[in-house]
Amino acid sequence: MLLDFSRLGPWRLVLVLIALLVGAYLLLPILLIVGLSFGSSRWLQFPPPGWTLRWYRELFDDPAWIASFLTSFRIAAVVTVLSVVIGLMASFGLTRGEFRGRELLRALFLTPMILPVVVLAVALYAFFLRLHLNGTFTGFVLAHLVVALPFSIIAISNALERFDRDIETAAIVCGASPLEAKLRVTLPGIRLGLMSAALFSFLASWDEVVIAIFMASPDLQTLPVRIFSTLRQDLSPVIAAVSTVLIALTAGLMALAALLRKDARS
Amino acid sequence: MTLSHAAHVPSPARPRRLPAGLAAVTPAFALVAVVFVLPVLALLLRSVLEPEPGLQNYAAFFASTTYLKVLGNTFLVAATVTVATVLLGFPVAWFLAIAPGFWSRLLFAVVILSMWTNLLARTYAWMVLLQRTGLINRTLMNLGLISEPLPLINNLVGVTIGMTYIMLPFMILPLHATIRSIDPSVFQAASLCGASRWQAFTRVMLPLTATGIAAGALMVFVMSLGYFITPALLGGTSNMMLAELIAQLVQSLLDWGLAGAAALVLLVVTLAIYAVQLRFFGFGQARS
Amino acid sequence: MTCFLDIRGITKSFGKVAAVSDVSLEIARGEFMTFLGPSGSGKSTTLYMIAGFFDPSAGDIRLEGRSILREPSNRRNIGMVFQRYTLFPHLSVAENVAFPLRVRRRPAAEIARKVEQMLALVRLEGFADRMPAQLSGGQQQRVALARALAYDPPLLLMDEPLSALDKKLREEIQVEIRRIHRETGVTILYVTHDQEEALSLSDRVALFNHGRIEQVGKGRDLYEAPRTRFVAGFVGHSNFLDCTIAAHAGERADIVLPDGSRLPELPIDRQAPVGAAARLMIRPDRLRISSPAGADAPAGIDAVLSDATFIGETFHFALTTAWGGALNVRMPSHTLPPAGHGVGQRVRLSWAPGDARLFAE
Repeated sequence: MLLDFSRLGPWRLVLVLIALLVGAYLLLPILLIVGLSFGSSRWLQFPPPGWTLRWYRELFDDPAWIASFLTSFRIAAVVTVLSVVIGLMASFGLTRGEFRGRELLRALFLTPMILPVVVLAVALYAFFLRLHLNGTFTGFVLAHLVVALPFSIIAISNALERFDRDIETAAIVCGASPLEAKLRVTLPGIRLGLMSAALFSFLASWDEVVIAIFMASPDLQTLPVRIFSTLRQDLSPVIAAVSTVLIALTAGLMALAALLRKDARS
Repeated sequence: MTLSHAAHVPSPARPRRLPAGLAAVTPAFALVAVVFVLPVLALLLRSVLEPEPGLQNYAAFFASTTYLKVLGNTFLVAATVTVATVLLGFPVAWFLAIAPGFWSRLLFAVVILSMWTNLLARTYAWMVLLQRTGLINRTLMNLGLISEPLPLINNLVGVTIGMTYIMLPFMILPLHATIRSIDPSVFQAASLCGASRWQAFTRVMLPLTATGIAAGALMVFVMSLGYFITPALLGGTSNMMLAELIAQLVQSLLDWGLAGAAALVLLVVTLAIYAVQLRFFGFGQARS
Repeated sequence: MTCFLDIRGITKSFGKVAAVSDVSLEIARGEFMTFLGPSGSGKSTTLYMIAGFFDPSAGDIRLEGRSILREPSNRRNIGMVFQRYTLFPHLSVAENVAFPLRVRRRPAAEIARKVEQMLALVRLEGFADRMPAQLSGGQQQRVALARALAYDPPLLLMDEPLSALDKKLREEIQVEIRRIHRETGVTILYVTHDQEEALSLSDRVALFNHGRIEQVGKGRDLYEAPRTRFVAGFVGHSNFLDCTIAAHAGERADIVLPDGSRLPELPIDRQAPVGAAARLMIRPDRLRISSPAGADAPAGIDAVLSDATFIGETFHFALTTAWGGALNVRMPSHTLPPAGHGVGQRVRLSWAPGDARLFAE
């Protein structure tokens, strides 16, 4: 009755109405940004009086924006590699190790994900002041790595737990050394977990803004930091253009993730 | 997949030469210890050491009406956002669980897209929408519903609208999973027992989804408590939230002791709520 | 002369619990040996020690006269088929079979030839390029078999390989396994908890219980001449009746049943004093039903028929003795008179000498 859409009776109308409203609430702001980025009004009139690519030109002609884009990308790329490698090792230890305090250690590794980022941001800012790491590439990578690692550990641990350990054992009985069995059988077996670990690690660093705001220097600014500081001054339509680029990237990654899931099911 | 479907004698098939596992977790442990635990502990320590050893920072924090108001704002916004996400998220999760394929997939994609879209991009959209001359105010004025623009931004109203927007997916997704896991035949049974729709809803559906609602609500509440970006951009200087206060104490006032104290207050509340969640519901969803 | 596989007094303890205690067994080259037993009886643990997943706490395992305990699993050159399919999900059927040859760095031409030969052996010639997920359970297990045999291991271990398959497939693959055993001559150690599987496949069966071997022998020996009460109960169906030893001479004893009737000279498993409790065991298919006690009635037990079930080739009868003991009888349907036997009827149960055995408590 209540779980059968066609038998909801008058309740169906209520449900459809709320779903429609919430769907609009979630979708319209995103469409608005995309619209504004092509709109000709500097004052963000909507609907726009005309259409233009001017904000995109301003964006791509500004070396500061390009530099931020590249900075974010470089940091996220290094963070992704390190996060997957360290996360893979930690996941092996957590799922297969036989030592006391494993669950406690797992909880510790996941804590950076659940604590308010602002606390970590302030704490790291103070810590890096002493080490002179604020405003450095290394500093950014270390900080973002702490934020990305939990995602990597969750994705890889889940994949490792689902992977039938007997398959690795079978490879060893077949004559492969334990290391060879891991490289040739286990890693390909958990490749979807590794890919989603990479995806989430990249996004965790790419979208990270709170820590970056504290750590950034005028010379080294990630994309989110530049957006944030621009937003504090005015609501330039260039931000709409940046945001649209980011939304397109997100949609692309979503499609990729959907493909991965489809691949996993077949 | 046929994998491990066959229930069988616990397979002890473990090669002897197991890595101890300890070596493998060392890099992660070193990273988390040095770049997370150490700095956070150092910050909290400063709250009782600076400017001089003692609890004066906590005394100052809890004696100041300004700071208590910040604390009050934080709880008020977090609570409002939580209630709003439950009221909006429950019907949406319900719709997603039972609506015909195409429509539920479409709405699902919208929820995921909004969740994955860059936080700053979404906040920017709300800044544009909520400003004095923004789309919402202009539409309402054109419709003749208001004569003066409503103050929607730089106050807690704006923060609440923006944060509800950001938190909604975190409520919808787990609730959707909860509702999907209900066996539809319980409602057929309830109906045969003579229950009306309303009775089936209050006596069967709500109890069956209560833990899901509670788990989602706790998560949204605790995430809202420590949120920084949205309040910083949509809120006003006179009505701060706790995360903003911590940032401002460090950035503008350089009062590390008081910042540490405020951080500890935030951490204690957060951990306490997570402890409740862990105790009653196990590990919640991943936060993004 | 040394035997092919020599298991000498191996013991495995996990903490204080002994999973396997003092198991010794000699297996000849080319033999098909099955470890049968309930779960937790130590049969799999024994197999895992041979595979090298566990180190024995004591004892030795020798293959062709040489101890293999110091070799890690991957250098024992033993083939193994697991309970679950354990195919490498990212490799095609051919690549799965080639895997053990690749890690042995064999030349490509040899690998190709061997893969073809193995797929022919398990009758999956057309499936070389399929992925494991595209195969049925039975096909996957045949690929696993091909992979385990690809490197010509002298010894093949099979750990309940059919337990994930349904009954019809199980029987089909049993035939395949027997054929492959004949064609390759490989020595097979097979673990199962299914007695039918054990009896139909193997040359010899080792019956495990509580970490020890209760009896080793051909399946027929285990059925016809169980040495312990556990063997009698585990292999085939059995009736057990409580009784008391009345006299004892050599390997035979007289007993008294609860109703006071006396049965003379039954074979007994071990010495037991007069007056000791014992169990009388008779297979349901060895009992004969005749008219109730008369002058010409054969020696036996009187009972009342409490239930009769027709299940195709056989009739099952449930009977109750005067003192409440329960007995089952199975008879081929065609040996029964058309009227059969009616429920409530009093009958006399008898058997041929040698079909009843005594087990001292």
